Amino acid sequence: MRLWRQLLAGAALAVLAATAQAQDISNLPRKETVIIENPEGTIKNPGWFNIWVNGGGGLSTGLQQLTMDTLWYIDPDQGINGTWYNSLAADKPIYNADFTEMTVKLRKGMYWSDGVEFTADDLVYTVKTQIDHPGMVWSSLLAVSVDSVEATDPYTVVFKLKKPNSRFHALFTVRWNAIWVMPKHVFEKVGDPVKFDFANPISISAYKLKNYDPQGKWYIWEKRDDWQRTPLGLIGEPGPKYAAYVDGGPPDKKTIAQLKHELDIIHDNTPEGMFTLVDQSKSLATWFKGFPYAHPDPTLPAVIFNTQKAPFDKADVRWALALLIDMKAVDLASYRGAATLSAIGVPPTGIAMTTYQAPMHEWLKSFELDTGKEKIKPYDPTIPTQIADMLRKQPKFKDQIPTDATAIANQFGYGWWKPNPKAAGELLERAGFKKVGSQWTQPDGQPFRVRLTVEGDTRSVFTRAGTLIAQQWKQFGIDAKAQPTTNPWQPMQAGDFDTAIGWSVETWGGDADMSFFLDSWHSSFVAKPGEVQPARNWQRWSSPELDKIIEGIRGISFDDPKGVDYGMDYLKLVVKEMPTIPMMSYNVFSSMDTTYWTGYPTFPDDPYTDPVPNWGNSRLMMIKLKPAQP
Amino acid sequence: MTAYLIFVARRFGQLLLVVFLGISATFFITHMTPVDPVAETISVITNFSKADPEAIELMRKTLTELYGLQGNVFEQYISFWSRLLRGDLGPSLSAFPTPVSQIIFRALPWTVGLMISATLISFLIGNALGALAGYYRKSRILKIVSLGLIGLQPIPYYILAFILLILFGFVWPVLPIAGGYEMNADLTLSFSLVLDIIRHSILPALALVLVGAGSWLTGMRALTSNIVTEDYVTFAELGGVGSTRILRSYVVRNALVPQLTGLAMSLGAIFNGTVITEIVFGYPGIGTLLIDAVHAGDYSLVLGLASLSIVGVAIAVFLIDILSPLLDPRIKAE
Repeated sequence: MRLWRQLLAGAALAVLAATAQAQDISNLPRKETVIIENPEGTIKNPGWFNIWVNGGGGLSTGLQQLTMDTLWYIDPDQGINGTWYNSLAADKPIYNADFTEMTVKLRKGMYWSDGVEFTADDLVYTVKTQIDHPGMVWSSLLAVSVDSVEATDPYTVVFKLKKPNSRFHALFTVRWNAIWVMPKHVFEKVGDPVKFDFANPISISAYKLKNYDPQGKWYIWEKRDDWQRTPLGLIGEPGPKYAAYVDGGPPDKKTIAQLKHELDIIHDNTPEGMFTLVDQSKSLATWFKGFPYAHPDPTLPAVIFNTQKAPFDKADVRWALALLIDMKAVDLASYRGAATLSAIGVPPTGIAMTTYQAPMHEWLKSFELDTGKEKIKPYDPTIPTQIADMLRKQPKFKDQIPTDATAIANQFGYGWWKPNPKAAGELLERAGFKKVGSQWTQPDGQPFRVRLTVEGDTRSVFTRAGTLIAQQWKQFGIDAKAQPTTNPWQPMQAGDFDTAIGWSVETWGGDADMSFFLDSWHSSFVAKPGEVQPARNWQRWSSPELDKIIEGIRGISFDDPKGVDYGMDYLKLVVKEMPTIPMMSYNVFSSMDTTYWTGYPTFPDDPYTDPVPNWGNSRLMMIKLKPAQP
Repeated sequence: MTAYLIFVARRFGQLLLVVFLGISATFFITHMTPVDPVAETISVITNFSKADPEAIELMRKTLTELYGLQGNVFEQYISFWSRLLRGDLGPSLSAFPTPVSQIIFRALPWTVGLMISATLISFLIGNALGALAGYYRKSRILKIVSLGLIGLQPIPYYILAFILLILFGFVWPVLPIAGGYEMNADLTLSFSLVLDIIRHSILPALALVLVGAGSWLTGMRALTSNIVTEDYVTFAELGGVGSTRILRSYVVRNALVPQLTGLAMSLGAIFNGTVITEIVFGYPGIGTLLIDAVHAGDYSLVLGLASLSIVGVAIAVFLIDILSPLLDPRIKAE
């Protein structure tokens, strides 16, 4: 017994000693360290830093945000010095008249973290190496576009293209990421760049690797002593000496971590997690100071139709289904009211609010839809105000809901379609449908069956939205059901779906050019039924009118003002045709703790970048962050 | 002895068959899933950037070739076994070209360390308390402890883990809530590193022990309650044998045989990982690796992990089968 007692006492002492240690989460100086959630979670191959090969090493571990760089950036919000950044490029791209050649002038005096200067040779090497190695990430994109690339001097590179491409520069322009430049002097010494792990990565940006967890839970980056010799350093001096990107864990856990001031930036949270933080944290900063708090990303969740499959090939059917959705209820069920709605095919965020959303709002007010029996005005500009009014009745939100019309539009959207079951019925009847008893049948007498594919537990907000939409269709007499799956993109690629919640519209956010997503909607890229559809036209919709718009955009420069006119034409066309039912922006519940750092991006005070920290552009936060404590 | 050796040989044959069938079934199940690793990789690559559809088609062809996914499933099956028999699990498809074995064996020690410790601790605590509770059936303290542990059992593990996390990580923040060691830790072996690792493993281990101990306790208490009514126990009591000796040598020893079988099964199953523990406590291990591999359609990694689990369970059962006749003379080899 004595031995047992001694063992027990020893164990108890060990536990006490272990718990008695200070509760710091790291041995880094906390006041000099910003701790950021990496939404990739645990990295399965943590020692893999070769971002040019999909080697399981993680992208948003800080690697792409703080150590990589490329020619240009477009900020999804306002940017610090405007939305367009010449990063490693000294100027904007220079195209020849028929867009078959692009010349790039590079900055002088930019250095890799090992002291070697960045030159045109690095850029040429990046392009040629990827074309020569089909296993590399951007190999195919470059191979189909580039005929030749050469450095005409150490700071000038000329690309000759295989066919006219007025948007070729987009491959080297960061939205979320882009083709990052490779350090030629490192990679040219390794045998096969596809098998090279780049285990001691050198950096062309203001931070370099300090340490990483061999189990993939955290990565720590340290400000370079020579940060001035990097494109990020040209914008300003980064505040944090160290930046740690960590696996935040499930929503409850990261909420706890931020309440304990152990996590400065949460990438995304559930609406409930965000509301808890708003309720309990005294040091919280969010994109919108009040409701809905979240950042609207330039991505447009929508109900996507498989337009190659009857009856979703008929615009009347698609419109009927749109008119059966009560978006107020969907917003409350999915985002708990914290959505920014969009009735049109562009996300309600960034430059689109003034360039497209506001003018289209006026056009939509007078837009008429012919149901065959009557002409209706389906647009309801009061829906965001109605949502705001509903939320204002909740005591905990009442002071945070704006009353100003512009603020309501920015936070809740401009408007959406008014539920109109009568008009929906008329549209279905015109399409040959009949109501037998309480159920709608198709022209061939079969029940009108709709399956709405939703992403299971990984995007609960959209699962909730899809489930409610299916219920609303069912209440109207349609055999509708939400169909959860772990990966809705797979059936969407294969064309094996009726309708799905997803997105086929992603824009630059900070630039009005629609080509980022719209080019891939051209009819020449629409797969035949049964074949795999390349991104992003998951709806497989084509139209001669749309092709004309896309070809028009292809024929003009990316900064030609005519681009906005083409954008408006596209928006009006998709309102009439409804190939997808746009719902809302992808609101990301990023939250920031001000205990150790201030200067986070917020709207409308200082919306200098997207606070969502896995975006390449989020590097701008490093410049604006200042210590909150001496 | 010859009969025993024949028994062992037969059991070993069964072991090989189980492993072969288990791994083959896993191969075909993973290849029947709708998740396509090439599409997943393309999705990772193109999700956020500008992607030319023509380039995506080229990418699809290249990756299919690179991942060795051309040819029909049967050809891939033959190629898989020929590689496996050479001890090569192949490259991970979602972390190409890193070998699957390298990825698994980086995370495996954490799962094995945590699970073996937690399983053994819960086994010892649960069985000791179960034996005492079954033997000293009138003891109030034992009744309260048993009730407490059994009461914890129906609580979903996820909830229990979060209760512990909130209690010891937030309300009374004495324990870390994430990771296997502190951020930026020096990982060279030292006393402070060991202490740090212990400190980080307390909460995940505690959650596993609290859940596991109740089940061992229930089983052991039932077994003990039956054995104490056996004639040989009554005879020993009448013969004046001390209660401690009766409990240790007559009751526990007999009750322990089925529990040891359970222990072997539990230890064999540790390769399945502890997904919830890893997610809730941010603890390293192979559980999240498996989930990620399933989502990414990484057949190679799923097969590597599943093979490990199948071999682990099969060997554990095999060992119990061949040791049982030696441990308990009532079990005959034939």
